Amino acid sequence: MNPTRATTVIAATGILALALTACSAGGGSADITAKPDFSGSLSILTAGAGDPMAPYFEGIVKDYQAEHPDLKITLAQETDDNAIKDKEKVLIGSQSLPDVYFTYAGNWGENFAVNGLAVDLSKQIAPGTEWGDSFGTAALDAFRYEGKYYGVPFYNDAKFMGYNKRIFSELGLEVPSTFDELISDCSTIKSAGEVPIAFGNKDGWPGLHYLGQLVAYNVPRDTIDADLAPTTAKYDDPGYAKAMEQFQQLVTECTGDGSNSNGVTYTTAQQQQATGKAAMYYQELIEFDSVNTSDSQLNQDGFGIFQLPAAEGAQGDPGTLQGAPEGYMINAKSKNAPVALDFLKFLTNQKNATILSSPPYGQPSAVKGVVTEKVASPAVAEGAKLVDEAESSFAWLDMANVPEVADSWVAVSEGLVSGSLTPKAALAAVRAAAEKAK
Amino acid sequence: MTALQAPTELRPTSLEEVGRGPAHVSRRRGPVKPGARASASASGLIWLLPALAVLAVFVYWPLIQNILFSFLKWNIYSGEQTFVGGDNYVALAEDPIFWKALGNNVWYAVISVVFQVFGALVLAAIVESVRRERWRKALRAIYFIPSAISLTVAGLLFYFVYQPQTGLLNVFFDNLGLGQLSQAWLGHESTAIFAIIAMSQWQGFGYSVLLFSVALQRIPQELYEAAQIDGIGPVRRFFDVSLPLVREMTGLMMIVTISGAFQVFNEVMVMTSGGPNNSSQVLGTWLYHAGFVTNDFGSAAAIGVAIFVITLLLAAAQLAYSRKKRVEW
Repeated sequence: MNPTRATTVIAATGILALALTACSAGGGSADITAKPDFSGSLSILTAGAGDPMAPYFEGIVKDYQAEHPDLKITLAQETDDNAIKDKEKVLIGSQSLPDVYFTYAGNWGENFAVNGLAVDLSKQIAPGTEWGDSFGTAALDAFRYEGKYYGVPFYNDAKFMGYNKRIFSELGLEVPSTFDELISDCSTIKSAGEVPIAFGNKDGWPGLHYLGQLVAYNVPRDTIDADLAPTTAKYDDPGYAKAMEQFQQLVTECTGDGSNSNGVTYTTAQQQQATGKAAMYYQELIEFDSVNTSDSQLNQDGFGIFQLPAAEGAQGDPGTLQGAPEGYMINAKSKNAPVALDFLKFLTNQKNATILSSPPYGQPSAVKGVVTEKVASPAVAEGAKLVDEAESSFAWLDMANVPEVADSWVAVSEGLVSGSLTPKAALAAVRAAAEKAK
Repeated sequence: MTALQAPTELRPTSLEEVGRGPAHVSRRRGPVKPGARASASASGLIWLLPALAVLAVFVYWPLIQNILFSFLKWNIYSGEQTFVGGDNYVALAEDPIFWKALGNNVWYAVISVVFQVFGALVLAAIVESVRRERWRKALRAIYFIPSAISLTVAGLLFYFVYQPQTGLLNVFFDNLGLGQLSQAWLGHESTAIFAIIAMSQWQGFGYSVLLFSVALQRIPQELYEAAQIDGIGPVRRFFDVSLPLVREMTGLMMIVTISGAFQVFNEVMVMTSGGPNNSSQVLGTWLYHAGFVTNDFGSAAAIGVAIFVITLLLAAAQLAYSRKKRVEW
C-alpha cells in the first residue's frame, strides 16, 4: 500500500484540525471607526468567479485601485455555493479570512456574526444611518443577528418561475394563479409535445428551492420558525407532508425527466429553457440575464416570470416569496477594517449598483431605487419589483436551517424526486436530523 | 495437475532477486568490523533525519492529531472544543449512512477485484499470447489510454455518458431496441454507485493489464514450450502455467486494489457528490461531508480513523502475504 495515498484524507483532516485548534473564541478587535490607511493592503473574497460576475469585481477593484494607487488589493473569487462555502471554512480554520468576504443570509451569516468573525456594522449601516437608508430594511434585516447589523446587502435574490411567452401564447395559456392551474397547464404543454418545466436536481438544492416555497405556502410561519430552531423543532405540522406531495406531483406531471431528474444538472435545465425547449424553468432572480441572453431563442420567444402559485386553501402564507439577499461582511480581525468599510461603500454606491443591475450582470442591487427598467432588463426589473412588493420573504431552506437539518432537506429532496422516499418517510428523516441537532 | 516447476538453479532466493530478474547475481560482501558497522549506521541515520522529520511533521503528527480530535466536538467558527470521549464513534456506529458508505466501499472493492485483478489478468494473458510484438504493444497502449486520463476528467466524461436523455449509454440501449433499460444512471439510488464503479473499472483496467503483462513476460518461455510439447492447450496453459507463476503479482494487485477501493473519493465527488439521497456515499466522501457540510469535524476525524484502521489492516495483510508467497520456479 502506498502510505502517502493511504493517509491523504486523514492528513488533510488532521491539518485542518491543527489549524482549527489555533482558532480562538471571542470577538475581533478591528476598529472600524479609525482613519483609513490607503497605503496598506486589502483582501477580498467574492462568490463571483466565472461568468458573468468575475469581470464585474475585476472592474470594481480596478476602479478602486485607481482612486487609491498605494493600496495593495488582493482579489480572490470562488463560484457560488459549495466552492465558496468550502473556501470560507478552510480560511476560518487557518485564521486567514480576508478583510472583506462573501456571506449568505440566515444561519450561514449568523455563524460568522455570533462567533466574533464579523464586524458589528450597526453604527454604519443600521436603518436610520446615512448608508443604511440607501438599502431596503428587509435586505438589512437579513443580516441582523442578536439585534446587530453585520452584513452589507449586495443583491436581492428570490425564486420565480420563468416562462416562454411563445409557448404559452400558442397553447392559449395564461399565467397560472393556483398550484392546480399550474399542474393543468403542464398537462396541456405536455400534450403539445413540449417540456413543461425544465428541472435538473443533480445537486439537490434545485428541488430544495421548490420544497422551501411550498413549505412556506403550506405551513404557518410561526410553526416554521419554531421548527427552524433545533431546540423547539417538532416537524409535526401536516403542511410539510402536503408540500412534499405537491413537489412530487410537480416533478411527475410537469418535468421532462421526472424521476430521472437527479441525473440532470441545473445548468442543463437552464439551457433547455434558454434554447426554447422547455416552457418553464424555476430560477433565481440573479439567473434571469444568464438564461434570457440577447442571442437566445428564449429572448426571441419572449421571457416572462411569475411566482410559483400556492394551492388553494394552503394553510401557510400564500403571499410569501422565497429568497434572501446575499452580501459581504468585514473580518473582525482585519487590520484594515476602515479601508474594508470604505471599499464596501464604494461597491454599493449608485454607479456601481447600477452597473451590477444592468446586463450582462443582471444582479438586482440591494441599493434602493437602482433597479428600474431603464437600467435592468425588464425581467430583472419586474422581479426586483415583486421582491419589494412581497408580503413577506422566506430564506432558502438550506440557509435557514442548521447544517445537519439543511443537509437532510437536500437528501430528501433527491429521495422525493426519485420516488425512493414517501413524504412521510422524508419528513421522518428531517425530524430525525432536527432531533440529532438538538 | 500441479504447477510446472522451473529448474532449481533458476529460482530466486528472495523477493528482491525476483525484482532484479533471474539473470541477476548478487554480490557478497566480506566481513565488516562491529565498530565500523555502528559508525556507518550512525552516519546513515543523520542522512535519514530530514526525511524522518518531514514524515513526522506532515504525516504522522497530523495522524496522531486526527486521532485525538476524533474524541472532541468543536465549533469551527468559535474554535470552542469539548472532550466527548467516544461519542463520535458511538454516533458513527449508529449512523446508517456510515454503514451504507462502508458497504459501497466493499462493493467497490469486490467489483474492482473481479475486473481489475482477474479480468485484467485474463486480458493480459490474451494480449501476451498475440504472436506479433507490434500488435502486443499496440493493444497494451490501447488498454492503457483510459488510465492516462485523470479521474476527475473521466468522471465528467462519464457524467455525460450517463445523461438520461442524451447520454451515450441510453442512446446505445435505445438503438438496440432496449429502451426499457434506459434510465438516469447517476440519478437513482439503486444504480448511482454502480455507475461510478463501472467508470472506475474502465479507468483503472488498463493499468492492471499493463502490470500483469509485465509479470507474464517474466515467466520463462521454455515453461510454455514444455507445456505445449506435452499437448496442453492455451486455456490450460493459462491456468497451470501463467496463473501460478503470477500469483505474487495477483496477490499484490488484490491488496492494492482493495486498499484503493477504501480510499475512493474523486470520482464520487465529481459524479454524484454522494447522492442521490446519500446512496453513493463512500467513506471518503462521508468524511468530507461530515467536516465541510455539517461542520462536524469530530465525526470527520472519527471517520478518518476508521479509514486508517481499515487501510492499515489491509497493508498488514499485504505485507504478510508478500512474505509468505514467494515466486518459485
